[in-house]
Amino acid sequence: MDLEMVSYLSKLGKLSFTDEELQKTAEEMTGIIEIMDTVKEIDVVYDAFADNKNVYLNDLREDASEASMATGKILQNAENSENCFVVPKVVE
Amino acid sequence: MDITKLKIREMRKLLDNKEISSPELTQIYIDRIKKYDGKLESYITVTEEIALNEAEKAQDIINSGKAGELCGIPLAIKDNICTDGVKTTCASKMLEDFVPPYDATVMEKLNAENIVMLGKTSMDEFAMGGSTQTSAFAKTKNPYDINRVPGGSSGGSASCVSASLCAAALGSDTGGSIRQPAAFCGVTGLKPTYGRVSRYGLVAFASSFDQIGPIAKDAHDCAIILNAIAGYDRHDGTASKLPAADYTSKINMSMEGVKIALPKEFYGDGIDREITDAVMKAAEEYEKMGAVLVECSMPSLKYAVPAYYLISSAEASSNLSRYDGIKYGHRSESGDDFNQLICNSRSEGFGSEVKRRILLGNYALSSGYYDAYYGKALALRQRISAEYDSIFENCDMILTPTTPSAAYGVNENVSDPVKMYKADICTVTANIASLPAISTTCGYNADGMPIGMSLVGKKFDEASIIGAADAFERSFEYKAPELI
Repeated sequence: MDLEMVSYLSKLGKLSFTDEELQKTAEEMTGIIEIMDTVKEIDVVYDAFADNKNVYLNDLREDASEASMATGKILQNAENSENCFVVPKVVE
Repeated sequence: MDITKLKIREMRKLLDNKEISSPELTQIYIDRIKKYDGKLESYITVTEEIALNEAEKAQDIINSGKAGELCGIPLAIKDNICTDGVKTTCASKMLEDFVPPYDATVMEKLNAENIVMLGKTSMDEFAMGGSTQTSAFAKTKNPYDINRVPGGSSGGSASCVSASLCAAALGSDTGGSIRQPAAFCGVTGLKPTYGRVSRYGLVAFASSFDQIGPIAKDAHDCAIILNAIAGYDRHDGTASKLPAADYTSKINMSMEGVKIALPKEFYGDGIDREITDAVMKAAEEYEKMGAVLVECSMPSLKYAVPAYYLISSAEASSNLSRYDGIKYGHRSESGDDFNQLICNSRSEGFGSEVKRRILLGNYALSSGYYDAYYGKALALRQRISAEYDSIFENCDMILTPTTPSAAYGVNENVSDPVKMYKADICTVTANIASLPAISTTCGYNADGMPIGMSLVGKKFDEASIIGAADAFERSFEYKAPELI
C-alpha cells in the first residue's frame, strides 16, 4: 500500500501520523492487504436476500415512554462545567 | 485446602454450609490479587471496596437461605463490559477515565444473582488482538510462564481464572477472544451462539460477531454462568427471543453414539504437531467413551481469516467513529479547529493496532474496493456458514484445535500483525457462522504450556458442547500453574 493511500485512509478515519509512522504503517498495511487479497481467488457472490430474509424490521419494542437517564449521569464523562457539552469555538 | 482452587459449585456448598462467609472468601481473593497480580497484571482495576460491600450483602442473602448458584461468588469482569460507576477503559487511553453511567445487561443479571465483582480485567485495546500486549495499562502475563502471553483479547480474564485470582470471569469473543486465551491459560472458555447473550453495554468492536461469555475452571462452571447471563434483552435488537435453556442439563451426559466431526483442514499445515497430536488424542478418548468420529471437510477455511478481518475491521471503523473526544473519552489539548481536535484526540487516544484496523476497515469499505473486499467477505461468510450446515447434517458437534500453537513469548509475534492475524485461523469460523464453541484443555506441550481443543456446536445448542467438554474434563489430568 503506498503512502498516498495510507494518507487517504487516515483522513477518512480522522487519524494523523508522523512521516516515520506513515512509512511504517504503509509497510504493515501492505502485508495485511496481501492476506486480504486471497479472497479474490474464490468465485463467490453475496446474496443479500439470504442474509435478510430472517430480519423482521417491524419487530420493534413497544413505543412507550419511560424514565430517561439523569442529565448529570450523561454528562459525568464530558469536559464541561455548565450542564452541557463544551466544544472548541468553531464559528468565527 | 486452598479454597481458591475450587469450582463454583464447590464454593457454593461451603458458603451454604457456613464453612466460610462470602466476605471471608472475597478477602482471600483480594489478598491473592495483592500478592500475585503485580507480576501477572491481569486486572486493570481492582474494586476492593465494592467487592467487600457486595460480599456483605450476599452474606445476608445466604443467611436467609435464599442464595442462588452465584450468590457471594467472586467474579472478574472484562474491561469492555460497562459497569455503572466503575471505570471501563477497554484497555485504551481513549477511555482511560470513562465511568459508564449504566450497567451492561450481563452485569444487571449478575448483580441480580448477587455476585461479588472483584474488578475489571485487562484485554487487548478495544478487544483487538490475541496477546493482551496491546493493552495501554496492563500487559498481562501467562500464569504458567510469566515470560509468555496469556492470549487475548480476554487475556486478563483467562489469566486471573487460571491463577485463581477470581472464581470465574466474563470475557468477550469477536474472533476467538474467549477461547484462545482460555486455551493459552489452561482454563475453559465458552463463546455462546450470537444472540444468546445480550451485547447491551458491551463496548462495540464488530457488532455482527461480538458475544459475551464465561471463562471458568471447567465447563460446568461455564454453564452456571451462562445460565445467569443468557436470554432475550429488549435493549439488544440482535438478542434472540428463543428461550434460554438450562445449560447444565447435559453435565454428566454419556458420549455413547455422539457424532463428532473432525474437519481435515483444521489439522493440516500451520498447526503445530504437538497441538494436532493432543487434539487427536482427545478425539480417541471420546471414541473410547462411545462417541463416533466423522471425517469431514471445510474447503473455505483458508479464506476465513481474511473474511473475518475484512468484516470485523469494516464494522470496527464504523463503531470507533464515535470516539471524537467531545462527549466522552480522551480529548487532545491541541487542535486549532473542530476537525483538528477530533483528529488529534483519536491519534493520541488509539494505539497502533486499533489504528491499523480502522485503516483496513476504511480500505475495505471505500469506493472501488468495496465489492472486491467487503462484498467478497460477506459472500464468504455465507459460504462458510453453508459448509458448517452441511457438516452438521452428519454430526452433533465439531472438534478442532483452539490455536495453531501454545502460548508464545511476550516479545514474539506481537509486533508482526500478519502473524497475529493468521493465528486466529482455528477460532474465527465460529464467529463467522454465529455458532457456539467451547475451548477446554486437552494436553500440555513439551514446555508445560496448556493446549486447548474446541468443540463447536449447532446454533443455540450450548448444552451439548458443554456436556461433551465436561465428559472430557472428568477424566483429564489437569495441571495447575505454579505461581511465583
